Amino acid sequence: MLEFPASVSLPLAQWVDAIMSWILVNWGVFFDAIGSGILFGLLHIERFLLWLPWVVVVLLVGVVAWRVMRKWWLGLLMAAFFVLIGSLGYWDLSMMTLAIIIAAVIISLAIGIPTGILMARSNAAESILKPILDAMQTMPSFVYLIPALMLFGLGKVPAVFATIIYAVPPVIRLTDVGIRQVSPNVVEAAEAFGSSARQTLFEVQLPLAMPSIMVGVNQTTMMALAMVVIASMIGARGLGLEVLLAINRIEVGRGFAAGLCIVLLAIVIDRVTHALAAKQEQATLT
Amino acid sequence: MNGNNGNNNNGLSQSGETCIDVRGLWKIFGHDSEKILSSDACNSSKETILGETGSVLALRDVSFEVNQGELFVIMGLSGSGKSTLIRCILRLIEPTEGEIIISGEDICGYDNKQLMELRRNTTGMIFQYFGLFPHRTVLDNVAYGLKVKGVGKEERYARAREVIEKVGLKEWESYFPSALSGGMQQRVGIARALANDPEVLLMDEPFSGLDPLIRRQMQDELIAIQAEVQKTILFVTHDLDEALKLGSRIAIMRDGEIIQIGTPEEVITAPSDDYVREFVQDASPAKVVTAKSIMEQPRVLLYEWQGPKTALALMRSNRLDDAFVVTRTGGLQGMVTIEGLVRLIRNKGNFLHEALEPDLPVSTADMVLEDLFPLAVSTRYPIAVVDEKGKFMGYVHTGTILGSMIQEKVEEEKEMGEDEEKEEGEVQKDEKMEVRTKDIKDIEEETRIDA
Ligand SMILES: Nc1ncnc2c1ncn2[C@@H]1O[C@H](COP(=O)(O)OP(=O)(O)OP(=O)(O)O)[C@@H](O)[C@H]1O
Ligand SMILES: [Mg+2]
Repeated sequence: MLEFPASVSLPLAQWVDAIMSWILVNWGVFFDAIGSGILFGLLHIERFLLWLPWVVVVLLVGVVAWRVMRKWWLGLLMAAFFVLIGSLGYWDLSMMTLAIIIAAVIISLAIGIPTGILMARSNAAESILKPILDAMQTMPSFVYLIPALMLFGLGKVPAVFATIIYAVPPVIRLTDVGIRQVSPNVVEAAEAFGSSARQTLFEVQLPLAMPSIMVGVNQTTMMALAMVVIASMIGARGLGLEVLLAINRIEVGRGFAAGLCIVLLAIVIDRVTHALAAKQEQATLT
Repeated sequence: MNGNNGNNNNGLSQSGETCIDVRGLWKIFGHDSEKILSSDACNSSKETILGETGSVLALRDVSFEVNQGELFVIMGLSGSGKSTLIRCILRLIEPTEGEIIISGEDICGYDNKQLMELRRNTTGMIFQYFGLFPHRTVLDNVAYGLKVKGVGKEERYARAREVIEKVGLKEWESYFPSALSGGMQQRVGIARALANDPEVLLMDEPFSGLDPLIRRQMQDELIAIQAEVQKTILFVTHDLDEALKLGSRIAIMRDGEIIQIGTPEEVITAPSDDYVREFVQDASPAKVVTAKSIMEQPRVLLYEWQGPKTALALMRSNRLDDAFVVTRTGGLQGMVTIEGLVRLIRNKGNFLHEALEPDLPVSTADMVLEDLFPLAVSTRYPIAVVDEKGKFMGYVHTGTILGSMIQEKVEEEKEMGEDEEKEEGEVQKDEKMEVRTKDIKDIEEETRIDA
């Protein structure tokens, strides 16, 4: 009586396996198409970033940071971070990581913003999606690696796929919140002047939700960065893989250097997107 | 206090055509609204319905008509359903049942597209809480309705600037609403509604959020705008003074029902039930009773081309001390008195206009008692009443005005003391009469000699 009876067992693992293999058999073509789409985009971004002379990238980072944060020394600092990354010998790997992040974020936004809009406009959609998003955010991140691996095998594509799944909830949630918190008086006024649903959305709701959406973009980007390191376990080349190798070989120095590059990348991306969000907020408040 | 309020329609400018016709409008908030409506439950009170079904009855069988060019006021306490009603008219809230006919078409049958067209082209709405777009400048706020319609950038900005100037915000067009005071924001709201040049304006407590001084100013501006552009306006307020000041007719609502519709005077002087009576008890007739409603027609009206002796004869045979003189087209020229005429004849004058009394008090038809009062105390003549074009319409005895003011005072304070004033007046009059009789006798003799 002390042990749980073996006869009461739920073969959940088998079921999931069965479902996955059913998906693979019946939807294989579909996922192949998605996979090659992602790969195509990713390779182009990656090739472009590696093709750009490093000076250009550093300058670009510096100027963008300066424009967005409105302080020249912050621009200089961000540019210096990128020079540091290069001098540590991780330029190419950083660009690869950056490419995955950019691809994952673009796709996340392309999925997340429309989903957020849908959620804001339909209470039914919200009540279905909200628990799913909650569950997604409480799940440990490496759990997403498994379905990604099964659907796409090893490589960059599953890494991007897992990153998207992990990173997309914040932008969905904050788009939804942003639109819902637009004052009903303002939306009513838009309707009273004969706006179509589209016009209300694009002329009033989205612009007023923009600060919230930008916070979502910031969070999604940061989560993508976190995930891309973990996703290196399933074969995405980049900084994450470097850290992973260092751990396996117990090379502390190498791990530290690669880890530092990740942190630097994170700071630059976070500060820039954060400043963008703050700027949006100010624009709608004035 | 005055007997003719039943047929007295205060609206000066209605063409009489119905513009908005609301018939049997119901609105029940809640899940089973249709079911409640089709059952007997809909006859019970608002509280009962809320208690039994959990649904809120916001409008019960509301019917009224608004004429073209009329300013129609809907008044009622908080929660009586005013906002719900005005929103239903644009279907910002879907009515549960009923017909809303705007310019001859039942808009309840409209699909989304038709509804959009209606809102774009026919109506304009002004909100209690302004509902301005915080992310757009004043100019872009005002131009919004035109933008939605697809009017080109230049044209819509030109039109918006025109309206912004009209509401006196010219220097503010590039500011965001948050930089403006409440009164200015509401002007933006008004400009935004006017930019589309809609036939119908719907205003939901537009001035309630403003302090009294600005509020009065805005009311005056609305009256001025209305005089200029002649819109059909449906105006919601919970403020009686505002309703009386602006409305050509007023509908009073309670718990979702209209319990009385009438001109301001009807509502004040003949409240349909205790609720209305209580509602209007603070309003003094001085604010609503107009010159037009208490004026009288003179027994004798003199024409400018008549000779002084004819005039004198006419007045004498009617036992009048004074008479009004009008032009060929009925325009008021002035007033002559017996003394004036006697003097004129003595001086061998031939034209009535030489004998006109100076400083004749004149009132317009829609002046209210309160405004007539200062005129009445500063003159010894009756007050002439003219229309906008200066045409003579009738006259008001100063006694009538003073009498009604005094009566009101007495009612209010149950105090005496005013009678002295009255007696004094009568004494003076008697003295005058003596003088006149003497003069008349003289003249009579003279005319006899002439003949
Ligand atoms: N969306 C809604 N859901 C449920 N009940 C509502 C809703 N909107 C209004 N009501 C109810 O309908 C009734 C009428 O409300 P409405 O806002 O029309 O009143 P009002 O006369 O405009 O009041 P106020 O002067 O305070 O603006 C109220 O009892 C209110 O509680
Ligand atoms: Mg209201």
